[in-house]
Amino acid sequence: MKPENEKYNKVLNLLRVSEPTLDSTKEIEREVIKRITKINHFGLIFSEVIDFLFGWVYIGWVRRSLITASIVLILVFVYQQGIILKRIDVLSRQTVVIDKENTSSPTDEIEKLLMVYKNSGRRFPSKTITISESQMKELLESVNELQIKYKDLENLIEEDPELKKLIEKKLIEYNHTKINL
Amino acid sequence: MIDLQLIEECRGGNFNNFRKLIELTSPFAYSVAFRMLGNEDQAKDVVQETMVTIWQKLKKIKTAEVYKTWIYRIVVNKCYDEMRKRKRNPEFIADEKTWELIANRISEGPSAALENRETSMVITILTERLSSKQKAVFVLSDLEGMSNDEISEITGISKSAVKANLYHARKSISEKVGKYL
Repeated sequence: MKPENEKYNKVLNLLRVSEPTLDSTKEIEREVIKRITKINHFGLIFSEVIDFLFGWVYIGWVRRSLITASIVLILVFVYQQGIILKRIDVLSRQTVVIDKENTSSPTDEIEKLLMVYKNSGRRFPSKTITISESQMKELLESVNELQIKYKDLENLIEEDPELKKLIEKKLIEYNHTKINL
Repeated sequence: MIDLQLIEECRGGNFNNFRKLIELTSPFAYSVAFRMLGNEDQAKDVVQETMVTIWQKLKKIKTAEVYKTWIYRIVVNKCYDEMRKRKRNPEFIADEKTWELIANRISEGPSAALENRETSMVITILTERLSSKQKAVFVLSDLEGMSNDEISEITGISKSAVKANLYHARKSISEKVGKYL
């Protein structure tokens, strides 16, 4: 055995032999009981206050009434939620015009027809034709463009009598009927 | 010997039985606390707090067999708290006289024992460099004679960690003893 270990063992043995002695068990006992009593005293006061404030809930008929009232309140709440959800669903299906100036007002007949068609489709879900907003916008734009081009063409024809005659002639040939432009 | 009957009676709120439990429990709780802290007053405080905690949580105890382990766990945790407090307010007591005292007592033979005050000084000088865990493991293993399994259960650290902490604690103390004694 190394001398270090021998010394270590001797010191360890000395400490093992020297068991700490508690000379004041009674003092500790007194202190502990005092603290426990204090804790219990506070606990007792707290429970008394709680009993005074809320003790009435333990009366039989009050207890039963409270249970009934809470059940009624829950049912009312569920019913209200149902109504609110239903109303939200209805509102979400309606077209809301917020400001006449801000919304695009249909100027031409075709656009009016398209709007009526769109709205009627929403009002009568059984005859619904699904079309997206972007497709509708694209359609309206192309109709507008077509109308502008038509007017330009009309002007061109009006300004040039030879062209007018030529087109009339071609149209007669094509349809076998006379058309006045 | 602490039996289940006594614990059961204490659960019912009987102070007289709890006094008996304090009497039976305090000595070994004090032994561990004193050896870990090396201070009589602090050890007594730890014992008091431990007994109050026992009173408050006695209902959790299912069998008398686990009672002792449970108490050791409470004591060790309270000692950790005390050591943490002490870290904030460190005090250094040990000096060369302590080493002289150890040398004298060892020379008196294996039956020589230290008084509480002397034990306090020796423990302080030997364990001042140890961490809280190392102190706990050293005290429980080498001074209280517990197995690694028991220490693992009390401290909540793995068996391998217990072994490692014990190795470091022994090494540190052994080096000190070799250097100064």
